[in-house]
Amino acid sequence: MYNSLELNESVRQALDLHSQSLIKIAFAYLKNIADAEEVTQEVFLAYLQKRPVFASSEHEKAWLIRTTINKSKNMLKTGWFKSRNPVPEDLSYLPKEESEVLQAVLALDKKYRIPIHLHYYEGYSIQEIAAIMQSKPATVGTWLARGRFILKEKIGGLEDEEICI
Amino acid sequence: MKKSVYKSAMSRVKTSENFKEETYRKLMSETEKTKQTNINKPNQKESIKMENVMKRKITGWTVGIAACAVLSISIFTMSQNGSSPSPQASAIASKPPILGKVAVNIDGVISEVSADGKSFKVGDLWVTVTDQTALGSKEPTASAPSEELLQKEFKVGNIVSGYTSQDVATGKVTADVIYNNMAPQKDVAAKPPIKGKAAVNIEGVITEVSADGAAFKVGDLWVTVTPETELGIGGPTAAEPSEELLQKEFKVGNIVSGFTTEDVSTGKVTADVIYNNMVPQK
Repeated sequence: MYNSLELNESVRQALDLHSQSLIKIAFAYLKNIADAEEVTQEVFLAYLQKRPVFASSEHEKAWLIRTTINKSKNMLKTGWFKSRNPVPEDLSYLPKEESEVLQAVLALDKKYRIPIHLHYYEGYSIQEIAAIMQSKPATVGTWLARGRFILKEKIGGLEDEEICI
Repeated sequence: MKKSVYKSAMSRVKTSENFKEETYRKLMSETEKTKQTNINKPNQKESIKMENVMKRKITGWTVGIAACAVLSISIFTMSQNGSSPSPQASAIASKPPILGKVAVNIDGVISEVSADGKSFKVGDLWVTVTDQTALGSKEPTASAPSEELLQKEFKVGNIVSGYTSQDVATGKVTADVIYNNMAPQKDVAAKPPIKGKAAVNIEGVITEVSADGAAFKVGDLWVTVTPETELGIGGPTAAEPSEELLQKEFKVGNIVSGFTTEDVSTGKVTADVIYNNMVPQK
């Protein structure tokens, strides 16, 4: 178990190391930076209150990602979130190609969006994504393939050319 | 291998500059809140524990003192009994446990009345009625006492009810209130019994017939049939009496039925109605 100093230190380290990753995962889910940041804060609060014990830093990151996904899902379910009609996130400051790809990924169904994010942004393998998302690797592979196929149709490219997202 | 466009785009997505600081501040405030709650809780528990201990102490002392008091009283009583048992017992036996009541009912039949008529005896108690004695019920819902239920004069045999607040052990009290003073109902047994009925059935076999044939005997009763005697069953729905069921001549052995309104105790009546006069079946 941690004492309070150790716990503060571990939270601070986790905050430094993973906060950006968690915000981006939540953003991939919620498509809004403010909401993503709020969810991420809740994740760290849960970390502080529950005081989970991790075998490794990878274990810690996986737990944080899983918690972020769960909390993002919960936020999507809330009445106030469903009832509101937010202004789309302004991504005009991004280069055109990057903005198009990001918009295309965000337009995907969330069951394709999150595996693609975890694979292309976090660099997780199919097995790792399956473990985080508590799904079968085959299912994750299918989601990734379908997501890529939809993106290829949207973004375009040669038939024999592998899509680069 | 091309650099992932998506990763590059996501990396460029702007987030709050002070997100880490804000989050850390928020987490610290939450930690402080939790600490405060944890600090307060044991204090409350301690104070509750202390209160419970104090309560237990007080209860223990109270029970102990009470037990000691009971024990000492019982020891004292036992020692008293041991030194002079017989006088105590006789004293208890001679004195009634309760000498008087706050209010005692006066209820019964007057067996004796004083010469001045202001006192009467009910059972073994002499009751005096003074000007202070209230007559009748003073309750707000009570009806005014009638002359019948509250007679002015107390007489032997009258039924009285009321109460006194004096000690009845003395055998003589002054009534506080007299609710009733009524003469008893006349003896029912003295009344003459009802000697006859409004209508008595005549029913049986004729054992004797008078010489003129107008009277017959059923059991111990002589029944005379006059022109006023109605023959047959009347009423709008009654059938015409047949010769067989209502023969004109009364004969010994005939079965008759009817009734009379006269007193059967005389042994001789006149029939009001004769329903049937028929020969018994062979």
